Amino acid sequence: MDPDTPLSFNQTVRGITEFIEVATHTILYVRQVYPAEIFVRRKKYNTPVFQSRHPALNEYISGAVKAVADELMLVHGNVHKVVVVIKNNEDVALERFIFAMQNMIQVEAYNKETGYATFDASEHLIHSSTYSVEDAMTASVLGQYFRSFLIKLSMVESQLGQLGLGDDLSFAIVIELKDDKMPTVTHGKDPPPWIPATLDNTTTGTSEQAELHMLRAVDTGIINLSFAVQESEFKLNMEKSSTASSSGKGKERAV
Amino acid sequence: MAPLAPAGSASSDYFEEDDPAFLQALCEVKLPGDLSSSQAPSEPKHEQQLLPPPQSGLKRSRESDSDDEEDNPRARHSVLASVDDNEEKARYLQNHTYGASTFGNFGEYMTRKRAKLQIQNAEFDDGEGVDADGPPPSRIFHGLQIYINGYTTPSVQELRKLIVQHGGIFHAYLDKKSIVTHILTCSLTPAKSKEFQYMKVVRPEWLVESVNAGVLLPWQTYIFKVADRLEQTQGKRVAQRTLFDSTYDLDQRPKTPPAGRSQDSDIANVSSLSSHLSQLARPQTPTPPKSGPSSTPSTPDRTLYTTDPATPKEAKRVPGYAVHKSNPHARRAMQDPAWRAAHTSVAPDFIEGYYRNSRLHHLSTWKAELKNLVAEAQERADSGATLGGTGGDGAVVGVTGGTEEDLAVTKIMKENMGADAVSMRNAQLVMRSPSRKGKEKAERAVEVHNDETRIIMHCDFDSFFVSAGLVDRPHLKDKPVVVCHSQGTQGGQASTSEIASASYEARKFGIKSGMSLQQARKLCPQVITIPYEFQRYKQFSLQFYTILMTHADDLQAVSVDEALIDVTGSVRRIHTEISQSQNLSASPIDPAKQFAEAIRSQVRRATGCEVSIGIAHNIMLARVASRRAKPAGSFHILPADAQSILAPLDIDDLHGFGYAARQKAQEKLGATNLGELAQKSKVVLCDALGKGTGETLFKAIRGIDERKLESDKPRKSVSCDINYGIRFENNEQAETFIYQLAEEVARRLQGIDMVGRALVLKIMKRDPSAPVEAPKFMGHGLCETCTKQIQLVASGGRATNDYKVIGEHAWRLLKSFNFDPTELRGIGVQVHKLEKSGGTEIDQGQAVLPFKPVEVTKVQPKTDQAKPPVKQVHPPQINIEPPSSPVDAVDAVALREPSELQGQVPALDLPSFSQVDRSVFDALPEEIRKELESEYKRRSITPDPPPASPAKRVRFPSLKPTDVFPKVKISVKGTNVKRITQQLAPRSRSSISPKKTTLFRKREVPFKVTISEAEVKKLGFDTEVFAMLPKTIQREQVANARFKKSGKIGVTFGGPRRVLKPISRLLPRTRPKYVPPPPPQANFPAPPTLKQQAKAKGQKLYFSETDDVQKVIETWVHSFLEHPPNSKDVAFFAKYLVQCVDNARSTDSGLERAIAVTKWWLVLLRRHFGVWENADDLDMGELKRGGQWTSEGIGRAWWSAFRDVKGQMDAAARRKFGGCLSLR
Repeated sequence: MDPDTPLSFNQTVRGITEFIEVATHTILYVRQVYPAEIFVRRKKYNTPVFQSRHPALNEYISGAVKAVADELMLVHGNVHKVVVVIKNNEDVALERFIFAMQNMIQVEAYNKETGYATFDASEHLIHSSTYSVEDAMTASVLGQYFRSFLIKLSMVESQLGQLGLGDDLSFAIVIELKDDKMPTVTHGKDPPPWIPATLDNTTTGTSEQAELHMLRAVDTGIINLSFAVQESEFKLNMEKSSTASSSGKGKERAV
Repeated sequence: MAPLAPAGSASSDYFEEDDPAFLQALCEVKLPGDLSSSQAPSEPKHEQQLLPPPQSGLKRSRESDSDDEEDNPRARHSVLASVDDNEEKARYLQNHTYGASTFGNFGEYMTRKRAKLQIQNAEFDDGEGVDADGPPPSRIFHGLQIYINGYTTPSVQELRKLIVQHGGIFHAYLDKKSIVTHILTCSLTPAKSKEFQYMKVVRPEWLVESVNAGVLLPWQTYIFKVADRLEQTQGKRVAQRTLFDSTYDLDQRPKTPPAGRSQDSDIANVSSLSSHLSQLARPQTPTPPKSGPSSTPSTPDRTLYTTDPATPKEAKRVPGYAVHKSNPHARRAMQDPAWRAAHTSVAPDFIEGYYRNSRLHHLSTWKAELKNLVAEAQERADSGATLGGTGGDGAVVGVTGGTEEDLAVTKIMKENMGADAVSMRNAQLVMRSPSRKGKEKAERAVEVHNDETRIIMHCDFDSFFVSAGLVDRPHLKDKPVVVCHSQGTQGGQASTSEIASASYEARKFGIKSGMSLQQARKLCPQVITIPYEFQRYKQFSLQFYTILMTHADDLQAVSVDEALIDVTGSVRRIHTEISQSQNLSASPIDPAKQFAEAIRSQVRRATGCEVSIGIAHNIMLARVASRRAKPAGSFHILPADAQSILAPLDIDDLHGFGYAARQKAQEKLGATNLGELAQKSKVVLCDALGKGTGETLFKAIRGIDERKLESDKPRKSVSCDINYGIRFENNEQAETFIYQLAEEVARRLQGIDMVGRALVLKIMKRDPSAPVEAPKFMGHGLCETCTKQIQLVASGGRATNDYKVIGEHAWRLLKSFNFDPTELRGIGVQVHKLEKSGGTEIDQGQAVLPFKPVEVTKVQPKTDQAKPPVKQVHPPQINIEPPSSPVDAVDAVALREPSELQGQVPALDLPSFSQVDRSVFDALPEEIRKELESEYKRRSITPDPPPASPAKRVRFPSLKPTDVFPKVKISVKGTNVKRITQQLAPRSRSSISPKKTTLFRKREVPFKVTISEAEVKKLGFDTEVFAMLPKTIQREQVANARFKKSGKIGVTFGGPRRVLKPISRLLPRTRPKYVPPPPPQANFPAPPTLKQQAKAKGQKLYFSETDDVQKVIETWVHSFLEHPPNSKDVAFFAKYLVQCVDNARSTDSGLERAIAVTKWWLVLLRRHFGVWENADDLDMGELKRGGQWTSEGIGRAWWSAFRDVKGQMDAAARRKFGGCLSLR
């Protein structure tokens, strides 16, 4: 596939979900949810990223991302956000890494795939093309955007500070759908992959005091993606109390 | 030169002392004097060179040849040439080439050595060429530069001679690879084979055979192939080979007993020998069977019983199977070409015979037949017809004994049989019977798979072949009996005939099916063999199935002697029967088991054979149950008991789990017992055995099996595999065989009325480590198996069952493997992606333009002239009928019969010979070239008459009065032109219907008419111009003119063309063109903009980029440093920012931008009014002083404006993300 032709719908979905997977690993590393030792440094989108080596963790992430991809592919437009929630051991959200998606176009199923060719009766090629979305972003540009996403992500610590909770951290992957929509995908007799999230972990459950850092956004023209971090009120309060106890730290950051 | 000879011979070093010729020469010849004597010691070699007495020349050459073998010279043409030249140069050579090399001057030494060798070569060349005297020396190797590597047969000397004598150049050194064209060798070291991998490495036979043939044969057929795999150290392998060879001899010698010997002693001898042999053979097997168990002592390898394992793994498990032992009989037999021609795959009727005798083939064919029968019966049942002719044997069903249950069972049995049913039930039966199956099937599909109320029975004959054979051999009952090909003492003790079935008595001795008769005899010497009786098996099998059919709701044919039936309905009715007739405290007797027993007795009555029936609620358990039921019994596994029954079993007791699964379970889980495996989680099982198998096992252990009976599984593929007796000698035999195999496959395809789209070729090739003759007589032995797949495409891209197409594809695949035909041991052709052949009337895929095949005119020898020319198919029909009336008789032209003419008109004429591009001509394949050559030759002898003959008769296409168009043969092969032509047809109906169009066909000129020049003139044409016209136009014009002349307006000749022409232009439009839907369009909503009045009037500036907006904000802030911000301005910016943030109006990049802008605003405010950022409202100071804003007032105003805007933005952002925006 030429990286300089416009993206097709499915390519976009694949690109986004791949990015979410990569970013999730890096989030877990950057936010020190798991010890740094279990991560290996790799190169992706021409930038260093960190990937977990723990098979179970990897499986969870890839499974979740796969489910996200299914949701995106099949009933596109329903997924509003994919959120990686970092929470403490009491299931209280501390930070929510939000991948917000916005479907810009409706694409018919037959247009989603990546390529087609038309032949006449004697099989002469009349027309060949891809189902690229006209005027959409190209794959190479999207890759560069993702690179900037990841660079922002790796520097997010300077904005968020260290969580410093040690082993008490855990995470969850949450999807938020449009109102009144349910996750649709089930595989055969397997139970559906999604379960209702804790309210605290969701956008609706976020208090007004939570602070949102927009990291980066990209308009592909097909599905627009933005990546933001939200610090929950709980975390901010926790930090305030800790800055109160150890003075000076907060001030430095405020400058 | 001859008189000089003695002078040279002074050096006695170069002649053997007792060379009589030399001695004689010494005695007789008068020595020339001091000159020669002084020269002699210094240049002995040269002298010798100058005087070649025949023997001495030979001797010398041999001597120096021995040098060649190790180190070699390079081509030195200059030197070589100089040798042939005059004596002066030869003298020069005396000083140079044959001079002594000084110490340390190795380069010179080598140069000279090479030169000398080339001189010798040259000598060979002219010396012996002249000697032969008769034919001039052949130059077939001219241009070849050959290097010989290592030891060869024939020897290097001989080869060298051959090369040189036939014009080639022999190189003793390979230091200039680019010069050397070919390398001759008989063996290569791995390093060398790698070194030479891009060179032409050829076997010496090439040269030898080329010389014999007198032409240079293509070297490609003699490519040297490395015999063994390179990784192995070759020496070791060779050593093993020879070891085998010695055992072959051992095998053979005693195996051909003296004719007079009695059979007993013979057998005894053989058996003692065979034990002796097995001892001998054992140490040779590289993988002794002992090693397996010793490495994993906990799991002794399950022994496998087959006579001809194909993989070393399998072979390891077969006891007493010496992988590397060659079958002595086979070796002996194969040496007889007549036997070979009659009994191996080379034999013309081999395939037929193979299938006649192959048990497996019979079984699989019947199974297919039975499946068809079942499917048909089911179809009939579904469509409402009752099962006719069931219970034909009329056996009265009944279980003796008077219990109520028995009665009920009997009743239902009878009902099922449909005959002599109790009248009471008839009404019910009629209601139930027709729609029953279809309905229940539908029901079942909806039902949860694991319905414990289902009753599945697995019915299986007890040692079917044996018990069928015993029916008319009652005296053999209770004796160890086996069924196999080999009968009596035939084949002797060493018979490798495979046992197909063994009676229970024989099984007690440990005899199992799959063993060879030889092994069985070892276990039980008194074992009795009975032959196959395929007809009887078939008959019994049919009866068996007929009975099952009557009782089953659904039936799956597993094999001839085995079936799965679903009897839920019948058993349920028995239940109701019992509960109706009896009080509900019914006895605990199991109605299903009763029913099974009834079926068993019915089968017994019909066939005389015992059937065992396993009953359970699913297939898997039913199979387990039938194992328990054997022999001659029935067993019901109730859902509750399933676990406890399964627990003690081993994994390979379950159907579908075999040796491999067991090995894996043992290796990875440390257990093969189902009870133990039940402890493992599903994940663990899946990890160990793979996902599918693991899951199946997990469920199976818990007694769950979701499979349904497959009564109407469609046929997926048709194949034909033969891996017995495949022994080819060359590719032609293999090809013939492949075609025969293809024919067989095609026959089977036609039998089931299917066509296929893909072809798989399976090849078994002798494993390099295996002996040429497999241990099993004519078997395949250890093999490497390769498969390749190819799309099966007949003309027009259709699926096919044409044997020619199949054979062609299969052969192409086989060729692509590039195997040595003698190594082939098994060939299988499988056709899959089947389709019904009936349904493909309308051709799919690409139409084929039926170009007229080029008819190559064959030159007929003069003697053949009497023979009529090759008969052409008479043009069959006239498709286009013009509305014309007969033409004047005046115009009648000399007509000739089309058939007569056609033979003479070559479809495609050759250009004149002078026009032929010579290089192209030379590049043509030989056959074609020859053909053309002969054709041209013929023409040069009898030149073609020029088109305009002196008789002034112009050849014209004739027009019969009745058909304006020439007769056109429209036989469009294989393509449905109608479809296309209909699309192409003009919209308006023309008088001439181009229904069957000639569009796709080059118009033939079936009539050649000579029209006199006079007539041409008469018709109003200029004769010269007319002659120049192309034939088609001539024809048109003539016809047109005739029409005009005959006064009929009718159709003008341009008519049809005029109709057709626009079509060709219309073509793109009329073609059902697939217009691709427009690709989706990306959606980039316009970002919110900040509008500003530009300096020029009427213009507006739009700012959307972050930088620009930031600049605007900056200007704004800077211009209001001394004033509080204007509320309108604030609202203006607020509107813009909120728009950016608002998800409904902007994308998230808008949000990003808004934050960037706001941040910049914040920075600016902090820069100018930083003090007031966090100022408390409580200690608010003066905001205004004397009409002037204080800096505090301005600052506070700015900050409140900022906070207001930020609040609005937060509110907008909250809708999407919750919380508020951080500007940190």
